[in-house]
Amino acid sequence: MEMKTLPITELRKLLGAVSDHGKQHLVEVEADLLQTTFLLSEAIEKLGASFTAVHEAVTEQQQVLDALVAKYAFDQEELNRLDAFKQKIGEEVNAVVTSLQFQDLTSQLISRTIKRVNGLKDLLHEIETHSGEMEPSHEHEEIAKFLDAMSHSLNEGSHALSGGLRRSVGQQDMATGEIDLF
Amino acid sequence: MAKTILAVDDSGSLRQMVAFSLKAAGYEVVSAVDGQDGLNKAKEKTVDLVLTDQNMPIMDGLTLIKHLRELGSYKTVPILMLTTESSDEMKAKGKAAGANGWLVKPFDPKRLIEVVQKVIGS
Repeated sequence: MEMKTLPITELRKLLGAVSDHGKQHLVEVEADLLQTTFLLSEAIEKLGASFTAVHEAVTEQQQVLDALVAKYAFDQEELNRLDAFKQKIGEEVNAVVTSLQFQDLTSQLISRTIKRVNGLKDLLHEIETHSGEMEPSHEHEEIAKFLDAMSHSLNEGSHALSGGLRRSVGQQDMATGEIDLF
Repeated sequence: MAKTILAVDDSGSLRQMVAFSLKAAGYEVVSAVDGQDGLNKAKEKTVDLVLTDQNMPIMDGLTLIKHLRELGSYKTVPILMLTTESSDEMKAKGKAAGANGWLVKPFDPKRLIEVVQKVIGS
């Protein structure tokens, strides 16, 4: 009976291509994520600085208004309007402080994604390494062992990667979180 | 005299928002960038309250709490966690480490101040 030969060279090429292309795309993903992190970081810094400056200006403006109210007579209706403005500003300031925390949440998620990308790159590197060990002269059983070992190694690597990437951010929106006092 | 709060978080924007909120309510704020920095600053000056994040490089929040509770001067100082973590498992770990409360991010400044006032007064 004629023995069929496995296309080992083609299999190695395929695995090598999967590894190479995969890693190439993951490098791009990582670069985009890092760029996003830098942009978000710079944006939050500027937003934070502007917010603080606006708040300081509004606080000083309020002090001037308070001095004017103390010095001159105003209609009750005008005073009520000033109070309403003050309350509205306070509410909006609180809303901004809550919203500006988006960067902390998103940067944790991006950081976790970058770690996963790097883990995937390691797994793809492992495919390349294992596939390089296969030779056309190997018997079927040896090739089967290589492929089995590769599969086992990928499974282990994938589980280890997931285990090391505990999800620390479960928030789906910017609603404020719960408070527990022990 | 204003009460002092040690705010520990590796996120610059979070430190800024926490300090902004607490200072506006009349508290003094000492900021630290991670657990180790927080521990060093806590040793320099005993504060009235520690508000710490959990996930930080170098030293996380739970480890910081354990170290603080080993210091004589921090046996009874209130420690609150302010973190993205919201699981019961993590809260139980925080409680076991010696935390007095758990606040999930993002925080509302008004509610944060209410909690701080409840824990250490104005």
